[in-house]
Amino acid sequence: MVTTVTRKRVEILIDSALAPRLIHAAADAGIEGYTLIPVQSGAGRGGRWRDDAVSGASAKSIFLTIASEEKAARLVDALAPNLDAHGMLLTLSDVEVVRGERF
Amino acid sequence: MDIVIATLSSPVILFFILGLAAAFARSDLTIPEAVAKGLSIYLMIAIGMKGGVAVSKSGFTPDLAAAAAAGVALSFALPYLAFGLLTRFGRIDRVNAGAVAAHYGSVSVVTFVTAVEILDRQGLGPAGYMVAVLALMETPAIISGLLLARRGERGDGDRAGGLWHEVLLNASVVLLIGSFVIGFAAGAEGFAATAPLFDGLFRGLLCLFLLDMGLVAGRRLIETRALTARAAALAILIPLVNGAIGTLTGSAIGLDTGSAAALGILAASASYIAVPAAMRLALPKADPGLSLAMSLGVTFPFNIIAGIPLFTMLAQRIG
Repeated sequence: MVTTVTRKRVEILIDSALAPRLIHAAADAGIEGYTLIPVQSGAGRGGRWRDDAVSGASAKSIFLTIASEEKAARLVDALAPNLDAHGMLLTLSDVEVVRGERF
Repeated sequence: MDIVIATLSSPVILFFILGLAAAFARSDLTIPEAVAKGLSIYLMIAIGMKGGVAVSKSGFTPDLAAAAAAGVALSFALPYLAFGLLTRFGRIDRVNAGAVAAHYGSVSVVTFVTAVEILDRQGLGPAGYMVAVLALMETPAIISGLLLARRGERGDGDRAGGLWHEVLLNASVVLLIGSFVIGFAAGAEGFAATAPLFDGLFRGLLCLFLLDMGLVAGRRLIETRALTARAAALAILIPLVNGAIGTLTGSAIGLDTGSAAALGILAASASYIAVPAAMRLALPKADPGLSLAMSLGVTFPFNIIAGIPLFTMLAQRIG
């Protein structure tokens, strides 16, 4: 039986233009590993949005990372004041991972 | 009235209207994203090279220097006018007004390309150096918009680094200036080898691109919740004022009719590529939904269908 440990999965929907700033904030919180997933379209409080390749101005991405509770808390604390201003959608969940020492 | 007929009977414009109509009818018509991205790169290379080739023939003339200076001055100054209208008439807060104003000082490459196509058909093709003016007008407005939005606030050094990289090295500036230099270095002889692609296919591919732009603009307009009636009215009023100022400036500095009309159309156009990304970095509190709904959803179609013939007629009248 493989041993698993509990870690935090942090998922943040963010405007692609602001993603480099988020990656920087994650690194400051001790989170170096992440995955950035481009997303196509959706809807929110500002109405529907879609990534048109022409302007690219409304492109959004999902920043996904697995981290220890401590590092995830540091990242959330750093981002919390800017969630509204930067139009981010942040969710945290517990996940079971193999090789817990990596996160 | 020839210019109105030429505009409304141009396949380029008609494909744009088809895209708009398909979007409003909620058709599932789409241009694959990679194709649309490839087309935008193709158009910027084609227009940049043609401009460079034209300047290699004519050389650096006083007209070129005057048009470049006027373009830069307009790009710096027009956001101040737009900001006043946005805050007073539009009742838009300072940060959003600054962000929107920057869009209206900067330029739309596609509007310019379409205008050149229409003007060429009328025998009023603008001078090749207007491509350089187009590239020069992309950036100064961003500085003005930021100054207006951040008036009385402390700057952010960390943000400035990423911002300037985005402002000075964004794809359209790099492609336009790079292709212009390549066209200038290659000259007419060097360009001839690439002409089947960058000249022969240009009009057909522009139709395809404008079809996509019609879809993008129409969907932006029907999906936004940020656009108020006042903001929509300003998205037509600001280009009218800016375009008239640009055309009058072009005529005042002695540009030919086509180039003065092109300067007017550049002044009337609003950016929806370079500026939104820069504003998102510099002013994250500004609502990108508002500025894009105004610049892409209202101003862009207005300029394509009405602005181009209007400023051309103004240039003809005063030229």
